[in-house]
Amino acid sequence: MTAQSDAIRIINLVKRYGQTLAVDDLSLGVPQGSMFGFLGPNGSGKSTTIGCLTGMLDPTAGSVEILGSRFTAESADLKRRMGVMPETLGLFDPLYAHEFLAFVARMYGLEESEVRRRVSELLAALELTDARKTLAEFSTGMRKRVAFAAAVIHSPDVLFLDEPFESIDPGGVALLKQWLRRFTEQGRTVFITSHVLETVERLCDRVAIVTKPGKLVWQGDITVLAGEGAIHHDGRDFESLEALFLHLTGEKYAELNWL
Amino acid sequence: MNWKPMGALIGLRYKLMWAKTRSRGGKIALAAIGFLLAVLLAGVLTAGGVGAGILAIRSGQAERMAQAVLSHLFVTSVVGSLLLGFGMNSVFADAELRRFPLRERERFGARHFLGMADPFWLFVLALEAGLVVGLYVCGTYSFWYGAAAVMLLFVCGYLLTRLLGVWIERLMSTRSGSMVAVGLIMVLSLAPGTLTPILRKQPSLQAGILGVLQYSPPFAAAAAMTHQGAGAFPGLGLIAAWAVCLVAALVALERRPIARRQSARTAGVTWNGPLDRAAALFGPRMAPLVAHWLRFYLRNNRFRILYPFSLVLAAFLTYNIGLLLHVAGGLFVAALGGFPVVAFLGTSRIAVNQYGYVGGAFRRFFLFPTDPAASLRAGSYAAVLLSAAMIPPAAILWAAFAPRPLDPRVALMPAMNAVTVLFWFHGAGLWTSLYGPRRGDYDKALGNDLSLLGNIVFMGTVFACVALPMVLGPAVSPEDWWLTLPPAALAVAFYVASLRGASMAFLARRERLLAVLEGKA
Repeated sequence: MTAQSDAIRIINLVKRYGQTLAVDDLSLGVPQGSMFGFLGPNGSGKSTTIGCLTGMLDPTAGSVEILGSRFTAESADLKRRMGVMPETLGLFDPLYAHEFLAFVARMYGLEESEVRRRVSELLAALELTDARKTLAEFSTGMRKRVAFAAAVIHSPDVLFLDEPFESIDPGGVALLKQWLRRFTEQGRTVFITSHVLETVERLCDRVAIVTKPGKLVWQGDITVLAGEGAIHHDGRDFESLEALFLHLTGEKYAELNWL
Repeated sequence: MNWKPMGALIGLRYKLMWAKTRSRGGKIALAAIGFLLAVLLAGVLTAGGVGAGILAIRSGQAERMAQAVLSHLFVTSVVGSLLLGFGMNSVFADAELRRFPLRERERFGARHFLGMADPFWLFVLALEAGLVVGLYVCGTYSFWYGAAAVMLLFVCGYLLTRLLGVWIERLMSTRSGSMVAVGLIMVLSLAPGTLTPILRKQPSLQAGILGVLQYSPPFAAAAAMTHQGAGAFPGLGLIAAWAVCLVAALVALERRPIARRQSARTAGVTWNGPLDRAAALFGPRMAPLVAHWLRFYLRNNRFRILYPFSLVLAAFLTYNIGLLLHVAGGLFVAALGGFPVVAFLGTSRIAVNQYGYVGGAFRRFFLFPTDPAASLRAGSYAAVLLSAAMIPPAAILWAAFAPRPLDPRVALMPAMNAVTVLFWFHGAGLWTSLYGPRRGDYDKALGNDLSLLGNIVFMGTVFACVALPMVLGPAVSPEDWWLTLPPAALAVAFYVASLRGASMAFLARRERLLAVLEGKA
């Protein structure tokens, strides 16, 4: 895969918080039109990397390119083509779902008639039609759906989803997967972090695995797993993403005699 | 009672407080606490505490003096805590404590022991204890009866404040709650000014009220302090009964579930409401952000209470400072400081800590294809717009009650001062939002969750409004109307410069803000 066809390029990214190293010289490319899984154990710098990719955090060193252009916190034109579902969801709790989505759509410069149409359609599709509840009163799963809707409402070319499926019921997850597949079929790119490895295995075509502190240990194509194949690494065959992940990040075993 | 986990929780509170001193802001706060302790010591030794005790003995009316001092401290601490939020922050919510093996009464005890250990309440206790020391040192009164009385009074003061706080929170969760709360605050605020002249004219009514007050906690404490042996027991018994009743009322009220506020809307959605139309004044790029911040303010319980209350407080300050000044035209001089309160009180909490109540949603502002600092400016525009909207009604009210014949300059000068304070405060608020952020609870109607810097700006502006008429005194007259123009122009210039400067500093501060707002700093 050449650099020209990468929707996202991370080049020698380093992020430090004071003396703490969160991301260590991370370089990777995400091909356009791919569903890319970005995996790692807790504290391995996944959210920090997404923060650098979406303008929330400044890299200490290195750079990020999105859709072929250098990305910084002030890259307004690129942000117009990006959709983000942050780990914290980024919802304004006092608002109603339609108000929040309309606010987001207007911020992306959508025409008023388009704002109303897309908000209404998203609310109906995601079953968020209870207009009496503010976002603060929504359940965790419903809040996730709203955050997902906010990420896609302006029909972006690149979508960043931080833990998108947790807390959403199976019906909702199936719907989101269906939308995401169609999204990539149209040549658009999805960058997902998740701890649900089975979902990533079924959904993503490429995966990168990082360990603490934000060090890339493996990246590659995982479509072979769908066809009963195996990933060959370190002279071993791994028949599931979970097996590979545990091998790379270190399988843990601790015995507590009181537990 | 299971004291061990309760002790561990109290220990945790102080560990958390100490952990905050590791940051630069924490060190500044620690220095401020040191200063407050010095003030506390001075307070204990002067009029509020030991000094009052000495004065009580020398005047020969120890009980009457003790009643006056304790009542003043009691009312001031309760009202001050409710209005300014000091001593109202809960360290742990009941829901947080449910994970531990504590029974309901143990959770109740742990929460309120922690609440009483707040520095604000310890300061009140120190002032009350000073009176006991004064009475003991200079008189022949028992130290232990006095100490028991002030401890019980301190507990009663705390419990009453909590009770009122919980009740107001419950009230605010109902649809008409904010209107009822504002009505009650208006009645309470205006009552002293209205009742004082009536009481002066009718000594019999005064005696009747004093008779009823004998059963109040401060009067009961005063009786216990200034009587010996068995004579102290009725006072102690009465105040202990108050404490028991307040605990029972607080338990009962806390058990009542909070009604979840439901929107008046039953079906359908509104796309382009009055807030969107008002925000459209700021142009198509800023309009969605300004409309968002207007909603954010207008749905906040604290704003809903403080906004109309600012009008009441302006009237209260003008009237009472005017009485204190004892000069011709005192009301006009008082209005120069009292009136401008309307220009910042309503929006004060959010304006000086703009992102403190948005939590993780702060990230959202960086995802939009705009200058991220636009959110800071838009929030400030919304606050200025809302506060400025309160100036015309206040001006009409002032014009209606100002001394006759009405000189237009007398009407203009307080309004110009309000403009000065409006732009000064909101300009300063931009800087405190960046350099003194603190994670707060958007849903809380009461409590002080501002940072030290935020409190300095807020309290400093309130103090300036109160002190200005005192400093000016009779020196100012309507002839000097033009003197109000340069400060207003300077304040506008400061606001414009702050908008630019804070916008430039915004990106550099964002990671720090994020850490504070997401509880990582």
